[in-house]
Amino acid sequence: MLQAHSFLWHYLWVAPDALQLLLCFFLWKRRLVKEFPAFFAFALLTGTGELVVYAADLLPSVSGVMYWRMVWAETMLEDVLKFAVIAEIFAKIFGAYASVARLGKALIQWAGAIFVFAAALAAAYAPRYPFAGIIFGANLLEQSTFLIECGVLVFIFLLSSYFHLRWPRKVFGITLGLSLSACVYLATWGLITNAGLPAQKRALLVLLTRSTFHLEVLLWFYYLLVPERAPVLTPAPPPESNLALWNRELERLLQ
Amino acid sequence: MNLALLLVIAAVISFLVIVLVGILVGRSRLQFADATQIQTVDVEAFRNLADPRESEYLQNRLPASDFRHIQRIRMRALAAYVQVVGGNAVVLIRIGQLALNSESPETVEAARKVVDDALLLRRNAGLVLLRIYIQLLWPDTGFAATPILEGYQRLSGSAMLLSRLRNPAAILRISA
Repeated sequence: MLQAHSFLWHYLWVAPDALQLLLCFFLWKRRLVKEFPAFFAFALLTGTGELVVYAADLLPSVSGVMYWRMVWAETMLEDVLKFAVIAEIFAKIFGAYASVARLGKALIQWAGAIFVFAAALAAAYAPRYPFAGIIFGANLLEQSTFLIECGVLVFIFLLSSYFHLRWPRKVFGITLGLSLSACVYLATWGLITNAGLPAQKRALLVLLTRSTFHLEVLLWFYYLLVPERAPVLTPAPPPESNLALWNRELERLLQ
Repeated sequence: MNLALLLVIAAVISFLVIVLVGILVGRSRLQFADATQIQTVDVEAFRNLADPRESEYLQNRLPASDFRHIQRIRMRALAAYVQVVGGNAVVLIRIGQLALNSESPETVEAARKVVDDALLLRRNAGLVLLRIYIQLLWPDTGFAATPILEGYQRLSGSAMLLSRLRNPAAILRISA
């Protein structure tokens, strides 16, 4: 059951991608594409790309090398789109506030550069295997991407938490799904790439990543499509004594 | 295997940070904020502590070791003030963000101004705190916290405008 080409394996390969495409349909139907163009492109293209890779895995006419080339192409496309989604998230959270947008942009660029350096360092120190370079390369690419993605997303969470910014519900859902899965993927690809595990254990870890992806898509469904039961939070007018206090403070400052 | 372990540890720490911050972000959406949460700040005392001329005066009058000791105490007191100012900025960020949902364009505009000023103040408070902690190591170096004081003044004006827009009755009482 937990092996490659078992029922569970087929389900975890197809269901999350099919659900992701269904999510795209709902986003289009509810006119949310304009609000999240990068996320829509990411969900549509990666969902389709992964189904193509799945089909290539099943087709006997597709050679092993060809299959891994397709994995490479799909991973690179996914990575580019993922970083576009992260840029979209950043713009939604910080872009509205001029006072922190510039600082946030500068900080995230620095943080990004540090995480790229860390990913390059991790890739340089990864053990080399003499066989199947194309597979190892794909694993290394996954590890590097998730290291950068994980770091940048944690940084966005911390920065917004410092400034106590309110996250729009949909943006929060997209980010939460991406972030939690990035952490699981980083751990699993770190183990797959560096720990020299036997094939059976590697297959188990791949199933773990697919299960996480499934949960991620379900999380997106919930946050993007289920309406918020928003409590009406209207700040009470400041009490008289407090306003007087502010006024006194203001007068003192103006002296 | 060491690298794998390192990456797993990094992933677990990231996971915990995200869950923790995610919970805080989720809670903050439900949190209520009002001006009663704002703590008053003695601006004169703050000014006095941040004034480089005061430091210069003490430096000229006191032996070096005494000056360093006194300066560290002053820096800690200043840090406490800055933390309160930063906390007040957070309350105003929350109030302003709630007011952004208002139907009145005037209120939304004022709220945006409050949030922007409060964010700037929060940013400056963080930077000033960083400088204070660095200066605690080298108390002989000069210090000026002017940006945070200016930010606080600007924020007070914006907050007053927002409270006037949200509660015109209050302004009548104030003006009286």
